[in-house]
Amino acid sequence: MPIPLVLLGLVTLTATPERYPAQARPAADTTVVVKAFGYRPKVLEIAAGTTVTWVNQDDIQHTVTLEAPDSAVALDASLSGKGSTSQFTFTRAGTYAYLCARHQFMRGTVRVHDTGVHR
Amino acid sequence: MMRKTLQSLIALAAGLALGAAPLQAQHAHGMAKASDLRVALNSLLAEHIYLAGSATGAALAGRQAEFQAAAGALDGNSIALGKAIGSVYGADAETAFLGLWRKHIGMAVDYVTGIATKDKAKQDKAVTDLVGYSRDFAAFLNAANPNLPTEVVTGLVKTHVVTLKAVIDAQASGDLAAAYLKVREAAAHMGMIADPLAAAIAKQFPEKFAMK
Repeated sequence: MPIPLVLLGLVTLTATPERYPAQARPAADTTVVVKAFGYRPKVLEIAAGTTVTWVNQDDIQHTVTLEAPDSAVALDASLSGKGSTSQFTFTRAGTYAYLCARHQFMRGTVRVHDTGVHR
Repeated sequence: MMRKTLQSLIALAAGLALGAAPLQAQHAHGMAKASDLRVALNSLLAEHIYLAGSATGAALAGRQAEFQAAAGALDGNSIALGKAIGSVYGADAETAFLGLWRKHIGMAVDYVTGIATKDKAKQDKAVTDLVGYSRDFAAFLNAANPNLPTEVVTGLVKTHVVTLKAVIDAQASGDLAAAYLKVREAAAHMGMIADPLAAAIAKQFPEKFAMK
């Protein structure tokens, strides 16, 4: 049964701002599908301020957990089972590597690019 | 050598091996058959038991060099199984499978360590982890192939855990006759996983696997 969307807070990690590479504009689709014990896409390019939604299609619990824990970044979401979702808004530019805490071979990355408009 | 042959067989059967002949040509020669896949998976999964039993037996008897050799061969078997899955479902699935498969081997090692050190809590945790793992592994297979119901596969993997635990317990008790009997039982059970897995893959990809 889908669980309510979980808003985890805003990323306030101080990171080196990244401008969009010319060939790497942010993806229009900001959904990451979790299927067969993998994040798809593995690497997501987005603009700062974008909300990413993870959708679990596996019949098992996964998590979306920042690989290097930081007190300023509350990215540690549980995807309880098939159909569950979680959202996170990335407000600052940077590269965010995450994994599933239960299956640590599952890894993904969100690259957040500076839009030039800081919130 | 046997492992390499099995890997080649699976890759060939899947019709996805690099440089393999076109699938139509394989069918024409009767190579890409569901039965080949079933035989290959049965062999690899039975090998898993024999090598795991060798590793746990050596570990419990304190034969360190033999344990290391067996553990290395066991990991080679895991890699071959991963490549078999990858040849059907792709590189990401291979990575996921190998991660999951190695995880349950680590849990079995924890159980053996718990016995060797007479640490009952460690043994109990390892068993709990292995039972929990059964559902994870089943969920992976179900995600890859909906023809494999999660609950059914969970039960099959739990039985794998139970049969392998019986091997380890017999080895620990010093009853070698019982240990080898349990090894045979555990290996025979792997057919209960290999057969439906091969059948489900063949059903999912009928264009790749001729049914006779």
